[in-house]
Amino acid sequence: MKQVFTALALGSVLVGVPAFADAEVGKPAPAFTLKDETGKEHSLSQYKGKVVVLEWTNPECPFVQRHYQADTMANTLKGFDAKKVVWLAVDSTAHNTPEKSATWKKTEGFTYPVLQDASGATGKTYGAKTTPHMYVIDTEGVVRYAGAIDDDPRGKNDKKVNHVQTTVDAVLNGKPVPASTTTPYGCSVKYKS
Amino acid sequence: MKHSVSKRLALAGGIGMWLVAAVAQAALPPSAVATGAPDEGNPRLEAALLVDAAQVKPGDTFRVGVRFRLDPGWHIYWKNPGDSGLETDITWDTPGTTVGALQWPFPNTFRTPDGFIVTHGYDGEVLLFAQATASEQATGALNLSAAVNALVCEVHCIPADLMLTRSIPLGPTTLVDAESTPTFDAAKARVPRPVADTGHTAALALDVKQLTAGQEFTGTFTVSLPGGAAVPSSETDAFVPERIPGVDKLTLTQTAPGRFALKGKAEPDAPKAEPRLKGVLRLGTAATGYQALEVDVPMAPFAATVGAAAAPVVAKAPSIKDSLAAVKPVSSATKAAPAESTMGLGMALLFAFLGGALLNLMPCVFPVLALKAYGFTRMVRQEQGRVGAHAAAYAGGIVASMLALAGAVLAVRAGGAGVGWGFQFQEPLFVAAVSAVLVAFALNLFGVFNVGMDGTALAGKVDQSHGLLHSAGEGVLAVVLATPCSAPLLGTAVGFAFAAGPLTVLAVFTALGLGLALPFCLLVLVPGLAKKLPKPGAWMERFKQVLGFALLGTTVWLVWVMGGLAGVDGMARLLAFLVAVGLGTWVYGQSQLQEGGRRWGTLAVAALVLVGSGVAALRFEEAAPAARASSTVAQAQPWSDEAVASALAAGQPVFIDFTADWCLTCKFNERTVLSREEVRAAFTEHRVAFFVADWTRRDARITARLADHGRAGVPMYLVLSPGAPDKPEVLQELLTVDAVVDSVKRASECSPLRRQDGSKVLCAAGFPRP
Repeated sequence: MKQVFTALALGSVLVGVPAFADAEVGKPAPAFTLKDETGKEHSLSQYKGKVVVLEWTNPECPFVQRHYQADTMANTLKGFDAKKVVWLAVDSTAHNTPEKSATWKKTEGFTYPVLQDASGATGKTYGAKTTPHMYVIDTEGVVRYAGAIDDDPRGKNDKKVNHVQTTVDAVLNGKPVPASTTTPYGCSVKYKS
Repeated sequence: MKHSVSKRLALAGGIGMWLVAAVAQAALPPSAVATGAPDEGNPRLEAALLVDAAQVKPGDTFRVGVRFRLDPGWHIYWKNPGDSGLETDITWDTPGTTVGALQWPFPNTFRTPDGFIVTHGYDGEVLLFAQATASEQATGALNLSAAVNALVCEVHCIPADLMLTRSIPLGPTTLVDAESTPTFDAAKARVPRPVADTGHTAALALDVKQLTAGQEFTGTFTVSLPGGAAVPSSETDAFVPERIPGVDKLTLTQTAPGRFALKGKAEPDAPKAEPRLKGVLRLGTAATGYQALEVDVPMAPFAATVGAAAAPVVAKAPSIKDSLAAVKPVSSATKAAPAESTMGLGMALLFAFLGGALLNLMPCVFPVLALKAYGFTRMVRQEQGRVGAHAAAYAGGIVASMLALAGAVLAVRAGGAGVGWGFQFQEPLFVAAVSAVLVAFALNLFGVFNVGMDGTALAGKVDQSHGLLHSAGEGVLAVVLATPCSAPLLGTAVGFAFAAGPLTVLAVFTALGLGLALPFCLLVLVPGLAKKLPKPGAWMERFKQVLGFALLGTTVWLVWVMGGLAGVDGMARLLAFLVAVGLGTWVYGQSQLQEGGRRWGTLAVAALVLVGSGVAALRFEEAAPAARASSTVAQAQPWSDEAVASALAAGQPVFIDFTADWCLTCKFNERTVLSREEVRAAFTEHRVAFFVADWTRRDARITARLADHGRAGVPMYLVLSPGAPDKPEVLQELLTVDAVVDSVKRASECSPLRRQDGSKVLCAAGFPRP
């Protein structure tokens, strides 16, 4: 019974839907090629076979600052198998520069690249609205999660559910994702206007 | 007065806000005012705790609120902030005072210049307030404090955490605070009122029957006034939706005054409850004045797509996937699956139809069926041409009573009571009535009296209209008897129907009825088949009498059900009544042999016996035989949420048996599976706490729990693991020993007490696929 459904599910995914508009859970993730703060190019296709986590970020946003003070992102990444999971931060803030990203990365001391999207093109393709706004893409390039990093917008709960962690664990173990869309919270992405 | 002055000044923008604020706040204690969201040293937000009473009498109601003032260009957020932002939160700490729900004035809608990000909130000044009631026992003064957590945004955002406190003296009368009351009244005028209170009627017509995960949908929303009075035109952004679980990107665009085009998109995950259109709607324009309404109307059931790559684990409305998993062999599932969106309803109808057909074989229906088959055999021989008419009457009787049942369900559901399949057997009078009909029927078969046939009819001529009515009546009886035999497939289909809209309920019940009538339709449609029925003869008379005993057997079961409902006394009363029914019918039978006046006299005696015994005997107290062991399974405890929680807390796996005395499938499972030695041993080995939730009599808690899992009736079997208590495993309705043993073993392995490697994720995700 379950096999039949898995087969059907996979079938409908493989037949596929052309990638356009927002990144939708269950559909292929929109392709992108962006330079990081050092000028190196990253495209989604080169990470096929790995689970990709996208984090829309903006160091000026108090919500992002709160999570970086608590090392939420770095700790989440640490919990994954580095061979299987790639973490990419994306900054779609209109007035951001590679230099600002490099400085921020140095102060915060994290390792993953900060992709430069000052034009906002990739951010709008994904429908990224807030910082932080998280996406998880599976090894086949299908979006499996879109939404908040956790269930604690105000940063006041003792117990939190880290949605990215549960999603990545579920995807790697071939389990269903407990909650595949949540409402992202935080500052709005400061797109070019 | 000061307020309107200060407002005008602020609007003029000539004088800085803070100076004006200081003037207006002359009366407020310093602790009740705070500023927050410092932007390079300049606070962007000022909040003040306002109370509309200067003195409060214990027991009286007054209003408390937080007034926010924002620098120009800055805003805070409504309860649904929109694409970004954060709901403004006020947490009250008010010993001696009960504070009600926060009242939100109609919000503004803000857009980024490119229109990509849309948010809802307030700029300038706003008062968020609530009703408060002072305790009768309060003494001294009321201490009120409000912890405010707000996100203050212009282009960038600054969180503000403020604590506001003040105290209001208690006194013999409540004195209105003249200064703040106008502020409260103005805010209250902006708070949307429920449509029911304003006299408007809100209606939503979606262009789809159900929401399909990931799919966009459209519809028309209308607001009207009684008598067709004109509804004023609205401005843009007249509708602001609340967060609707399962629905995203919901907009209403005015197409004519009072008429709006709805657009939305269903999220990939099915929500826990059927989505409702919730939000606030502001009629009118700045020129005509506004009227804000609170909208809350049902949308449509939610169906998860089979093709979705991520199968949600969260609890959801019964989708077709569940139905398939519950009942269907693989082959037909593969065929049916690609139909996508309308499949939910279509498959439910198919299952209802198949379930209806299967009901014919259930012990509670079979006697009637056999009876019908017997009558049918005779008809085929005697009057070929009218077979179709009789079959149609029988099917009509079934469908009509199914629809009546559906109507009753809808009526009761609309009335707010939770009902489920088989609910009518929770009513003692109903059980008594059905028993009486069965006994009368049996006596009829024994030849004690004749229905619809006078002396000449015995020769074999059946009065046409009467015969057709008889067929229809048999159809009705088949339905009445079928309901408690919730055959395995039926549960899912009916569960689906109960969670759905009225039309779906009617459609599913019709399909059920047609399925139940199927065997006879087949006999009519296939002429050869009818010919194969055995030849009539003396055996038919004997067979008829044997069937009478089958009906009496069914009566025994009903008497036992009555025992569960109304105790031993109830059983005795029912039996006494049934004896009277026997006497009445016998007297009636005697009257059929008599003539003229004497006959009428005897008839009167029969009627008197029936009515008299009915009045005397049919008084059932809702006896509460709490001590009664309703399950045959050892170590069973009565179910309650608290008991389950404490068992789970103690690290025990939990098995819950949702059952009822009138549910034959339940009893079958209990006898053949749950009381088996292997099952008991497994329960003992894994320290399983076994709970019985007995739905023989109405129990709203059980009805609610059944609904949580998409069921409308019993049986239902839940297995909960202490490792993942919020994710129960729902077992198939027809239990097997293996299924039960495996499930409790899985549940036990997930227990934190026994888990060795501490792999929490694997366990939580691996234990149950509901």
